[in-house]
Order: sequence, then structure tokens, then C-alpha cells
Amino acid sequence: MAIVEARNVKKYFGEVKAVDGVDLATREGEFLVLLGPSGCGKTTLLRMIAGLEKPTAGEIVIGGQVVNDLPPRARRIAMVFQSYALYPHMTVFRNIAFPLKAQGVPKAMRKDKVLWSASMFGITHLLQRKPRELSGGERQRVALARALVREPDVFLLDEPLSNLDAKLRNAARDELQQFQRRIGTTTIYVTHDQIEAMGLGDRIAVMNAGKVRQLGPPQEVYDEPADTFVAAFLGSPPMNLVEGDAVIVGFRPEQFLPAELHTAAPLVTFTFRLTRVENLGADRLLYGVLEAPFSGQRAIAKLPSTVTLSLQPGEKYPFAVPQQHLKFFDRTSGLRTAPRPL
Amino acid sequence: MAVVKDTAVAAPAVRAGRLSRLLDDETRLGRLMLAPAILYIALLVGLPFFLALYFSLTDITVGSRTLHFVGLKKFHEVIHTPTFKLALKNTFIFAFVSQLLVLILAKILALALVKDFRGKWFVRLLILLPWVAPISLGSIGWLWILDSIYSVVNWVLVHWRFVREPLRLLGILDPRMPPMWLGQPELAMASIITVHVWRLLPLATVILLAGLTSIPKDIHDAAAVDGAGFWRHLFEITIPLVAPIMIVAVLFGFIFAFTDMIVIYVLTRGGPYNSTQVLASLAFFTGIDGGDLAEGAAISLFLFPLLVAAAFIFLRIARRAEVT
Amino acid sequence: MRTGKVLSRREFLKTASTVALATGVGASIIVPGRANAQRKKLRILQWNHFVPGFDEWFNNTYVKEWGEKNDTEVIVDNIGLAGLNSRAAAEVSAQKGHDLFMFLWPPPVHEDQVIDHREIYEECERRYGKAIDLAIKSTYNPKTKKFYGFSDSYVPDPINYRKDLWDDVGMFPDTWDDIRVGGRKIKQKHGNPVGIGLASEIDTNMAMRAIMYSFGSSVQDEEGNPVLKSKATLEAIKFVKALYEETMTPEVFTWDASSNNRFMLSGKGSLALNAISITRTGEKQKNPIADKIWLAKAAKGPVRRIGLEHVMDVYVIWKFAENIEGAKQFLVDYIGNFRQAFLASEFYNFPCFPQTVPDLKQLIAYDPKANPPDKYKVLEDVLDWATNVGYPGYANAAIDEVFSTWVISTMFAQAASGRLSPEEAMNQADAEVRRIFAKWKEKGKV
Repeated sequence: MAIVEARNVKKYFGEVKAVDGVDLATREGEFLVLLGPSGCGKTTLLRMIAGLEKPTAGEIVIGGQVVNDLPPRARRIAMVFQSYALYPHMTVFRNIAFPLKAQGVPKAMRKDKVLWSASMFGITHLLQRKPRELSGGERQRVALARALVREPDVFLLDEPLSNLDAKLRNAARDELQQFQRRIGTTTIYVTHDQIEAMGLGDRIAVMNAGKVRQLGPPQEVYDEPADTFVAAFLGSPPMNLVEGDAVIVGFRPEQFLPAELHTAAPLVTFTFRLTRVENLGADRLLYGVLEAPFSGQRAIAKLPSTVTLSLQPGEKYPFAVPQQHLKFFDRTSGLRTAPRPL
Repeated sequence: MAVVKDTAVAAPAVRAGRLSRLLDDETRLGRLMLAPAILYIALLVGLPFFLALYFSLTDITVGSRTLHFVGLKKFHEVIHTPTFKLALKNTFIFAFVSQLLVLILAKILALALVKDFRGKWFVRLLILLPWVAPISLGSIGWLWILDSIYSVVNWVLVHWRFVREPLRLLGILDPRMPPMWLGQPELAMASIITVHVWRLLPLATVILLAGLTSIPKDIHDAAAVDGAGFWRHLFEITIPLVAPIMIVAVLFGFIFAFTDMIVIYVLTRGGPYNSTQVLASLAFFTGIDGGDLAEGAAISLFLFPLLVAAAFIFLRIARRAEVT
Repeated sequence: MRTGKVLSRREFLKTASTVALATGVGASIIVPGRANAQRKKLRILQWNHFVPGFDEWFNNTYVKEWGEKNDTEVIVDNIGLAGLNSRAAAEVSAQKGHDLFMFLWPPPVHEDQVIDHREIYEECERRYGKAIDLAIKSTYNPKTKKFYGFSDSYVPDPINYRKDLWDDVGMFPDTWDDIRVGGRKIKQKHGNPVGIGLASEIDTNMAMRAIMYSFGSSVQDEEGNPVLKSKATLEAIKFVKALYEETMTPEVFTWDASSNNRFMLSGKGSLALNAISITRTGEKQKNPIADKIWLAKAAKGPVRRIGLEHVMDVYVIWKFAENIEGAKQFLVDYIGNFRQAFLASEFYNFPCFPQTVPDLKQLIAYDPKANPPDKYKVLEDVLDWATNVGYPGYANAAIDEVFSTWVISTMFAQAASGRLSPEEAMNQADAEVRRIFAKWKEKGKV
């Protein structure tokens, strides 16, 4: 078990600032998700923690020790790659045993550990196969087993589910979380998929342009975005952001409902001219344009399919958001500001 | 008139249709595209080979147009001669030692070149030069370097004190009698092997380099994270992964070393006293210079079955080692 | 010294590149030129002469004049000597090529491919007097009674020695024993070794045969039977081994066709067997060493004084040549003008029809280019001590294969280096010689 810290870590590739001053610390045994769009620096940060890249500046600390100058093998970490990076010329058994062999674990003990690790992921029947004979899901488990077998202090996972199809991915997510809870090893998980992030993380660090924009538990990051980037990145569809005189006002589509459906008060009401309706089965998405004082600005509302109210494109309707769910952002910096009356 | 006009208009359309039909028909188009390659192999590889095979079973000479089929007589005649036996032995020494060196050096070079560093393009260019330069010219350069009177190497050995004195004290060098690179059997063999290695190294390096760059970076990263040090990484990850392509490179190198004589022809002509004579050069001296074309063909084809067997085995291994 | 070095390097590179090009030439396909309806064509292929002035005279002056007179376009292609055999093989297999093809040694193996050159000899003898025996022995097959080539000239192979060094030890290289004793003294006193090749190359081939013949040994007898294994041969081998050990260095195992020149002109060598190209080159480059290099007749052995020719010009006319009559005419006329050729070659090529250069003795007795001017006078009686490859018999196909596969060179080199004992070396070579003779006898050519 260990705590991983990044202290003002920077990584520049020539002019490109891939990671531009990140301060971040995991908690003991935590499942921390690094979430961000591609190119935001999350994978680079992970690779610096693993020791595969050297930081341009700053310190990486694992278990209280500055590890900048340690090679990957001395950091007591294990990593699972997006491609799984299984050794194609080795059987599953030898793949899983490889880290042990590299550590000089005696042969007899190696076998026990491989079997233990393989059984954790239910792949003991695959041990004699070569990676090319496995399905995607099986490969992913082998990669996890190979990471687990040496019982590292930290797991580093780089989008390990992105190569699986949607159905498999849900099941794998579930398994992964259960497994992490069971062994309680500090885990850093990189993804660009907010559903994975929300579902798996104890905390989420949202990254953009080489910086951490917000760090917090999933619900907090979702409900109280620190800035317009986080607000717009999370949620599907993302938060509506409309520009007022001095501020940007944000509200989630699921809070933006026909006024008559709201029960609680106080409400802020908008006149919403509906332009298009999308029926997604479980939900209905309503696209439209606001009238004064936000005239001309687009917004989206999300109605559960349990609401059967008839709404026609081209018509105007009164819509409302509970006041507490309106978020305010500074127009220039994009950061959250205090609520104010509209 | 109207009929004539009609066909005149219709003809180009039909032709265009035929051409595009041909272009659409993958089987036929494929055959058409393959034809030049097959023709090339048949005329420039196949024909000379079968001609040589045929010659080796006859009593043809360079000056005769009539020939008689004599079966394996030429093979029987020649394989018992001491020169042939020596040439056979030399061929194996030459091929194996040079291939071993090429393999090791190419591996080292390729590993160095796969890394990023300043001026890498220049180093890559330099390494490729021996391959780009015509081998005859390259060999002549070496002939000069190893010459008995004007050898650059010997000049350095004799005239540079800090080179000469340590060697002299170690008893390796007699400054009045510097080594005759092409005149002493072991040195001559070492010299032709060196030049052959120098010549084949670029190709082997480039092939291995291609093999190395085709290994996904993730695999190397995974091995690093999994705790592999340099040697384990090299022997358990890198080498097994480039093995299939390496085997093909080695196969080419072997066949090349077994069948090529240009380096030997330019540098030693098989001398001193046949100690660098290989089958290919002996075949040339016997067949072309000596006039007994049939015996020359027999000598040059002697190893053919062995090479075919080697190629078969190598390619099988390569296929088995294939990884995805 | 300086100029000498520069020159000999160039000489060296020139030879070396011809060696390299030889392989390329061997594979090239001869493309027949477009036929010219008006003018006849004559295509000649010969080597790059070691005296560059010769090619200039031959290619640019002589053949032009002859072409004018005979209304023929003459095309001369020059290639390196090492490429001659492969080029000839290519022309034979294509059944197409030059009308006149010049070898530098007898090419009996091509007997079936060439016309009988008897007529040319007869016409020349009628016009210019008898041909020398050396020419006949190098172009005639007594078994089939056919002239398989026509020899216009040969190149003497005298001893080239450093007069200053030999004078210093008070000796003169007259006999092979003198060479051994004097060579040893010079090597001990001055460090300059003797340089007689022991490698797979033409100069070694010639020098070793010279030693054999002067010891009374030979590859075949007069009737063309292999007789290599003999007491005389053994003596010759033992002598060469002693000569190597006492007077030479391992350098001689690296010998090639240009080594003699470089060895002597660099000032390193005390003696070599070579044509006069060494001193000629030195004179041209004003290399002071050239003045110290003098010539001597072939050395005397226990049995006789005898040497080889350095090279033997042999022209052949292929049966498939397109202009056979023109080629014959060219040769006959060429012999008639041989005095010009003799001068252009700076005495390098000696006539096979001696009467074509009646004043040869006077010419070589006083050469203003030479220092002293009578340096080349020793060549005047060359025919008394020069013989053909295959002595005392004819140059036949078996002799040619023995020559081209370096059997004799290898025999001497293996014994000299100590790799084999003299007896073993002789027995091995003898077996090879017998095998080769048996092959060609079976074909009815020997």
C-alpha cells in the first residue's frame, strides 16, 4: 500500500506542454481516476508515475520516497496498458510469470503465485495458450493477472477497458472495481470515458491541457464543477452553459424541465422555444432556443420517458430550473463564482 | 454510311469497356501484374540455374558446343580432390563465422540506432554506405587497406608510436615485418571475413532495425515495468520478437556467403595457396578460367541440396516463431 | 621516391580495378551494332596494354590508317587482363562478339570455336619469313593438327634487379643459386627482400615454371604426357622453399599482376621477374629508382638457362565472327607493320616474326630513354632463353587448365609456407595434373 504524489510535475516535449504543473496526491488504497479528453496529459502523467517518462520538472513520490531517478522496476508498481502489451511469444503462464522471474522469485513459488493470480481472474484454463488465441476480454484479464501477480504497491491502469465492446465493458468495470476493493491496492486509472470514471473512481481528477482542473469524488465533480471545462466535459448531454451579462449560467439538462413538472421552489423560469425532439427510449432530449434575457442561446432538456407530456417542435413552453441547481461561472476565467440573481 | 458511323462511335466505348472489365477482374489483372516478375525469375534466375544443373551432368567446356551427358561423373571426379575438400571447409568457415559476426554486430548496431539521438540520420547514412557502394569498388578499397606494401593499417601499426610500442612489447608486432593481411592463411581468411561482414552488415542492420521498430512500444514498456533488466529484456523479449525476421536475414546471409565470390576474387583469388578458396571461387577458376565448364558447374552446385534444405528448415522455424 | 610512389599507386589501382571490372564484363551481353551497308566492320578486343602509349598508337593511329586503306570501320575494345577469360566464355556462349579476340596466354580450350589459323601463318611466313618456335608451340595442337590461334608477339620476362644492392654484396644474379645467396646477403644487410610471387596469379605461374624448367622439371613431356612427379620437380620445390625462407617475406603470398611493379619501384625489392614495364614506368615518372634497376637474362638452373615469356599475345578468330576475311587480312598486315608496334610498345612486345624488325638489336642496344642507354640490350638473345607454357611440349588444353587453376603456384606456395612437405605438395599437384590431363585426353584434345 502506498500513496502516490505528483509535486508540481511538468513534462514538455519540445514546445508542447503535455503536463504543465500537476499537484496531485492519492489516498491510501484509493481508486483515483484521471479523466480528460485525449491529449490532456493524463497518460503522460501516468507514464511518469510508472517511470517510463522522466518529468521535465517536479517530483514523483511513491510511498514517501522521491522516485524520479528510479527505473520502473524499482518503483513497486504494476501497469496495465491499453493494448495489454502481452508478450506474444509467451504462453499466458509465462506472461504472468515474467515479472516474478524478473524479480528472481524461485520457480516453485512462481507457479503458486501464477495460479493464485490467474484464479483471481478466472483464467486458469487459459494458461497454456498464446495471447493470439485469446479473446479481447481474456487478454485483458491476463494483463490484469500479470499486474497483480507481483503484488505491487500501486496499480497503474491505462484505459484498460477501451478495447472491449460495450457489453463486456460493463461487466469488466464491475469486476475491476470489486477486485480493487478486495485487494485494496492504491490504483490510478486513466480514461477518457466519463461513465467509467464516475462508476469506478473514489475520486476523479479531471484534466485538460496538462493541468488538473478539478479533483473530487464523482458526485462532487458532477454536481459542483469547478469551471466551465469540467461542467461541459461531464454529463451526457453536458451542462447547458448560457451567457448572461456578467456571468455564465450553467444548469444540467435533467434539471431543466417544463415548469409544471417542478414541485420544489424556488424556481428560475425560462421561455424555451422547442426546435427538435429526440427520443432515446429511456429519455427524451429536447433541443431548443431560449428567449430573453438569453435570447437566441441554445439549450437542451432531458426528460425521463416516464414523463409523457406532449411537446411539439416550433412551440414555446415555460421551462424552469430549481435555483439551487444554477451554477455561475466567471465570463473571463471560466471559474465558478458566487450565485447571483439573474 | 449510317452503319459505318455507328461502329466508329461504338468502337472506343467497347474498348474502354474491355479495359475496365480487365481492370475489374482481379484474377486476370493479378496474373497480368505478376507476369513481369515471373518472367524475370524464369529468365534470369531459373534459366541459368537449370542450365548450370544441366551443364554439371555433361562434359561441356567453355570452348565446346557439343556436349555429352555423363551423369554424376563430374561430381565424383571432383569431390575427392584435396582442393575441393579444402574449398568446402573454407566455405563453411567463411559462411558461419561471417554470419555469426554479422548477426551480433547488426544486432548491436540496430539496438543503438533504434534509440533517438542527435545526428542519428548521419550515423544511419554512414552505416548504409558499404551497401550502397558497388562491392567491387569497396573491395578495391579494402585491397588497398590490406595491401602488402601500401597498407594503411600497417602504416599506422608501424608509424604511430603509441600503437606500435605496446604491440611490440606484447610481442604481437614486429615493426620490420608487419602482418601480411592477405598473405598468411589465417589473416587472409580473417580479412575476407572482415570485408564480407563489412559488406553485409548494413543490410542485416536495416532488416533488424525494421524488426525492432515493428515491436510495439507498449511491449518494451511492459517489460520495463515488469522488472526486466537489459539482458533479460534483450534475450527474453527483443530477440524472440525479432526472431522471425532475423532468421530470414540469416538465411539470406548464409546463402549469400555460400554462393558469392566477389570479395575473395578481388582480395585473394583463393590464395594464399587455396587457404581462402571457397566453392564459388573454385568453380569460377575451374569453369571459366580453366575451361572445364561442367566441372565448374558441378562444384558450384555441390552445396545446392544443402542450401535448399537449410532454407526449408529456416523458413519453417521462422513461420513457427511468427508472432502477432 | 615520391613520384615513384604516386605512380605505382596509380598503376596498382588501375590493375585492381580491371580485376574488379572483369566480373562485370564477364556477364555483359554483346549487343550487335547496326549493320552498316556501305562499310565493312572489324571488331577487335584486347587488353589494356601495360604501356599506355601502345593503346594510343594502336587504337588512334594504326587501326585508323588500316581502316582507311581497307574501307573498314575498325572498333577496338580494351578490357583488363583478368576479364579476358570470362569475356571469351560469354562470346562463345552467345556465338557473337569480336572478329579478333586477343588472349594473353594460349587459349587451347577454345579450339573448336575458332577457325584454323594455319593460313595466316602461311601467308605471313611467305611474306615475312619464318615464325619463331615459341609462337608455334603456343598456338598449335599437334594432336588435331590445328592452329587454334595466331601469335603476333610475346613479352620477354627478364630478371629485374637492383644493381646498387647486388653490387654492394659483390654479386650478380646469373644463376638461381646466385639469386638465393645474393638475395640472402642483401636481405640481411639492407633488409630488401627478393620478390617472386607465390600466389594465384599469372606472374607466379610464369616464374615457378621458369624455375621448374631450369631444374629439368616440367608439367608434361614433349608428347603431352603428365610428368610432374619427378626428382627434378622435388628439387625445384625444395629450392623455392629455401629461396622463400632465406630471401623473401610472406608478402609474396599476396602477389598480384601489379605487385612486381610496385615492389621494385617502391624501392623495397632487390629482384623480381617481370617484363620491362617496371623500368619503363620508372623512366616515364623520372623515378630515380628506375636507374638502379637493371635487367638480366633468365637465370641458369642446374640443368639449363631458361625463362618464360611474361605474356604471350594470341589472337583468335571465332568461327562465328562476322568478318573473318577482314580479320585475317588485318593480322597479316599487322605483322607487316610490326616494327611500328615494337616501337609503340617501347620494346615491350617482341615480334614472333623476327624479320619484321630487322634492326631490333640496334634499337635495343641504344635507347635514349634508358639509363644507361644499353639497359635493354640483354634482351637481344631472348629467344635463346625464353620458352612457352607447356615446355617441352605444346600449350594444350590440359596445360591451360593446370595454368588457370593455379595448380603449380599452389604446389610451390604450400611447400614454401611449410603447410605441406615438398613431397606432399608435389604428390597432391601431380594427382591434380593427372586428373586434368585424363579429362582432356578423353576429349581427344591432348
